[in-house]
Amino acid sequence: MGHFDPYDDNGGTVAAIAGQDYVLIASDSRLSTGSTILSRFTPKIYPLSKVTVFACAGFHGDVLTLVKQLEIRMKLYVHEHGEEMSTKAMMALLLPTLYGRRFFPYYVRPIVAGLDREGRGLVASYDPIGTPEFFDYVIQGSAENLVHPFLNNQIGAKKTLSDVPIQAPPELTLEKAVKLLKDSFLAAAERDVYTGDTVTLMAITAKGTETTEYQLRRD
Amino acid sequence: MFMTRSEYDRGINTYSPEGRLFQVEYAIEAIKLGSTAIGIQTKEGCVLAVEKRITSPLLEPSSIEKIWKVDEHIGCAVSGLIADARTLVEKARVEALSHWFSYNERMSVESVSQAVSNLAIGYGTTLSRPFGVAMLFAGIDHRKPQLWHMDPSGTFIQFDAKAIGSGSEGAQQSLQEVYHKDFTLKEALKHAVTILKQVMEEKINSINIEIATVTPENMYHLLTPKEVEEVLTLITEK
Repeated sequence: MGHFDPYDDNGGTVAAIAGQDYVLIASDSRLSTGSTILSRFTPKIYPLSKVTVFACAGFHGDVLTLVKQLEIRMKLYVHEHGEEMSTKAMMALLLPTLYGRRFFPYYVRPIVAGLDREGRGLVASYDPIGTPEFFDYVIQGSAENLVHPFLNNQIGAKKTLSDVPIQAPPELTLEKAVKLLKDSFLAAAERDVYTGDTVTLMAITAKGTETTEYQLRRD
Repeated sequence: MFMTRSEYDRGINTYSPEGRLFQVEYAIEAIKLGSTAIGIQTKEGCVLAVEKRITSPLLEPSSIEKIWKVDEHIGCAVSGLIADARTLVEKARVEALSHWFSYNERMSVESVSQAVSNLAIGYGTTLSRPFGVAMLFAGIDHRKPQLWHMDPSGTFIQFDAKAIGSGSEGAQQSLQEVYHKDFTLKEALKHAVTILKQVMEEKINSINIEIATVTPENMYHLLTPKEVEEVLTLITEK
């Protein structure tokens, strides 16, 4: 008789960088359970509106359920208030949504990324019960511990915890951010067996959304 | 006329054969007995001004409240049955705070009106009669200053300027004549008080009116008697 075991860890890594006039979201496309690969073609990025996206590592069943919930909340908001929910509002909404399952949580590591009403980048990451963190770059998932120090060094090195920026400095252009996250995922795929196959990079600016893909290690 | 109505004007959920809901119509009539309230929307903010009927010299004027704060950014002026208004204002407050809890942003004035309207038209399932109040919601959201009017039928409409209550017909006429899209807040205050003065039976003073402003700088602000006094000097000077 097996005991009740409702969770799995399907690996994968998601990251985002908030710029002065862009936001960049990245996800690998591998889905695994233990040493078995379930899918090589599942980037864990989910657009919620023209300017807001959700990216999430963790247990994929919970991820898909949570995404559906957020999509429903977005649609209802448009019906009730006559406009799309802002990135900030979606960031706020995720907190009670996750905390509402405080004692049977979704096994998820979410990121909300998008542009605010003024067109500046915003990113936030959460723990499974909704504690938010706002920073100019965030990373979640199986390669988090590998990549985070690299990003700290490249973007956040000179910052202290008492002076947390919400956007990366203007020197970090979208082009540089793309290079940085691409390199991060290439490096992660070398060491972390749960991250790999491809990396999807989604850039949102006032002009719109642009998605690019790069190959990662497939072994 | 009353003979034809009498069969269908009791049930609150019954249409007359002509398709009318008499109880709702009567509730709208009830508002015309209420004290006058005026709302004006300008680019700089909104103004609410109401008359308070001091029916006895022994009455404590500050205990009559006709303008309420809904949230930092929204005020509400009412006319009609004030006890009913309290229920609706309570609903507005809860909805505005619930919105803030979920989305960490200020609820739009339209959405607050919508939420209160949902309660107002839901009277049939819980109450013995429709709510006997008309409300003016004045506020600021990211779409700029807004004025919304709601009546007992639950209908809510945006206005540049609107009057409700016993003097509403004359006041609305006057508002139409003076209203201008480029009103400053001070001009709106002046016109609101001038028109209120015209339709009030009592002589206007700082005790028998209530004024509130909602501006991007100070958000909801109920004027103190001293500030009301200053506004009144605006109309006595010339």
